[in-house]
Amino acid sequence: MAKTILEVMDLKKHFTHRKGLFSSFKEAQQSIPAVDGVSFYIKENETLGVVGESGCGKTTIGRTILRLEKPTSGKIIFDGKDITSVRTDELRQLRGQMQMIFQDLDAALNPKMRIHDILSEAITVHHRISDAEVDRRISDLLEQVNLKKSKLCNFPNELSGGEKRRVGLARVLSVGAKFIVADEPTSALDVSIQAQVVNLLRDLQKRLGLSYLFISHDLRVVELISHKVAVMYLGKIVEMGLSDRIANKASHPYTHILWSSLLEKQSKETAQKAKSVQAVRWGVFDFERPTAGCRFVPRCPVYESKGKPTPCTDPATEPQLKDIGGAHQVACHFPL
Amino acid sequence: MTTAPTLKIENLRTYFYSRSKQAFIRSVDGVSLEIAQGETLGVVGESGSGKSITALSVLGLISAGPGVISGKIGFKSDRIQKNLLQDLDDFVKLTTKDGKIMAVSKDVVGWERNTERVMNKLRGKEIAMIFQNPKSSLNPFTPVGKQITEAIQLHTSIKTEQQAKERALTWLDRVKIDSPRLRFDNYPYGLSGGMCQRAMIAMALACEPSLLIADELTTGLDATIQSKIVDLLVELKSQLGITTMLISHDISIISRLSDSVAVMYGGTVFEYGPTRDLLSTGFASKHPYTSGLLASIPSEQSIREKGYLQAIEGDVLDTINIPEGCRFYGRCNQVTEKIREKCARHEPDLREIGSGHKVRCWLYFD
Repeated sequence: MAKTILEVMDLKKHFTHRKGLFSSFKEAQQSIPAVDGVSFYIKENETLGVVGESGCGKTTIGRTILRLEKPTSGKIIFDGKDITSVRTDELRQLRGQMQMIFQDLDAALNPKMRIHDILSEAITVHHRISDAEVDRRISDLLEQVNLKKSKLCNFPNELSGGEKRRVGLARVLSVGAKFIVADEPTSALDVSIQAQVVNLLRDLQKRLGLSYLFISHDLRVVELISHKVAVMYLGKIVEMGLSDRIANKASHPYTHILWSSLLEKQSKETAQKAKSVQAVRWGVFDFERPTAGCRFVPRCPVYESKGKPTPCTDPATEPQLKDIGGAHQVACHFPL
Repeated sequence: MTTAPTLKIENLRTYFYSRSKQAFIRSVDGVSLEIAQGETLGVVGESGSGKSITALSVLGLISAGPGVISGKIGFKSDRIQKNLLQDLDDFVKLTTKDGKIMAVSKDVVGWERNTERVMNKLRGKEIAMIFQNPKSSLNPFTPVGKQITEAIQLHTSIKTEQQAKERALTWLDRVKIDSPRLRFDNYPYGLSGGMCQRAMIAMALACEPSLLIADELTTGLDATIQSKIVDLLVELKSQLGITTMLISHDISIISRLSDSVAVMYGGTVFEYGPTRDLLSTGFASKHPYTSGLLASIPSEQSIREKGYLQAIEGDVLDTINIPEGCRFYGRCNQVTEKIREKCARHEPDLREIGSGHKVRCWLYFD
């Protein structure tokens, strides 16, 4: 049985919204619950996919786990150790084991450094080794991510999108990380290059036993690469389970809408049918003032069709994640 | 009765000159396309294949500079029929050697004045474009409603502000922006990405153009919003019968919306034909590049088996040093020994191999 590498318990991250210098004297500060009580675990050699619309808190989860943001409350346990409030000097050691592939690699790779320097910096921060050893490691890394050696003296802007991804990956691997948060690693790539990167990620997982938290809004890729999938809506996980169950036997109406919006799956008739299911007012959802009770109510087709039942809007009974069998959890009063 | 197509691009070449590399970047290198009235043409291809540059060339939005635009862009509507690149050659002097362009000297001022003279009557009025990033193509300092009103006053016979405003409101309603009267006074930052895109569509269509060019109109939007926008376009298309050129690298969108497809690579069209033939999986003769593109999308089967994706190895063609022979030769996985010599040495032309189905590949030529 595989070991649990990361466990997150009731994690919350609220951002405060300051209005001007003296706002704290005037009124209570408004807080935005970007991540609002999220629990999950990831086993070794496993991939958890996180999907959801933009602004639902996917990236914030990743950043908070790596302690790039300080969690408001909750617990993060990495490799058996509580890292929720470790000191900064311990963090450095920790980050040798957990790393992040950032979404925008144009911003994440220093434009004034050559690829060789970018990689060697990452290695020497964590390990004190000789120059020759650094060079040997770099050439190992390049082989692992399929990058040509001639690219080492290039600057990031001279590389294509796929090559930049590979450099990002090589940098993450260079420190010897075993848990990787991959934030939209395939967005902004062409399908052909996307396929190369997806293959590489899976290959590395197999060879090095990596665990991924795979954040993406591309449902097909998530379905393909993840073992488990968590669906997020406004800072909460609304459904979590094995990837093919989430994709094909969704229980939460939101998950159902998400997957039925996939264009590939829509033939002409199902498109008609999906339209009637989806004939929902896409009411503006307000992050700062979530509705009482279930957050999905303003957009929920089931709420409409069931004749607006009270438990859905009762603040005392906000739906919690419940096990419905087969390692499948859903937070809904009326699962499909 | 056959009428002339709304847009007919013949052998379009758009080159840019790179001063640092002392060479031409051949972004569009001999593209020929046709869009019949009421038809939607999808243009797919990887980034850097010249899709957007083709569209910008049609609109005359390529800035003069030291570059080349040559070929013919025939445009025809109820009101106008002309070649958009007419007379441009008078301002350009090319030095050629072995059929290749070596140097360009150009009367930039005259060239630009000529473009403006031709295009001012057409842009917005006859040909409208929806750009890639809706948030950055709307003016951040003007309410969206005002921007649409402005476009209507400028391009149509409606000149009074009151009437133009009414028209703008009906269009905002038509693209399904809820409570259009409220949204009319919103600034672009107050609208979500999907809303901005709807406003852009409203602005483009409010002037009733004969041709709509939509460049990557759903990239950067969430899947749920994406499918809404696509549904909207399907609906508008059946109501209005607009002629559209749809540019995207998302094959699923192209296959939903377009009647015919052009697959572009390295500045040329590699395959051209009806959508149902080209993008359906059962169809036999396909360019290796098209089938590669289709295979790299996660399919039902690959997801079920958790298998690897079939990737096209290598990177997009460098359009400065275009190799002799087929542009796809280095990445192609279907080269057979019989045709290897031809692939490496001679560039294939775009030949018709079935009804309306054209391919640029030696595999299908004898």
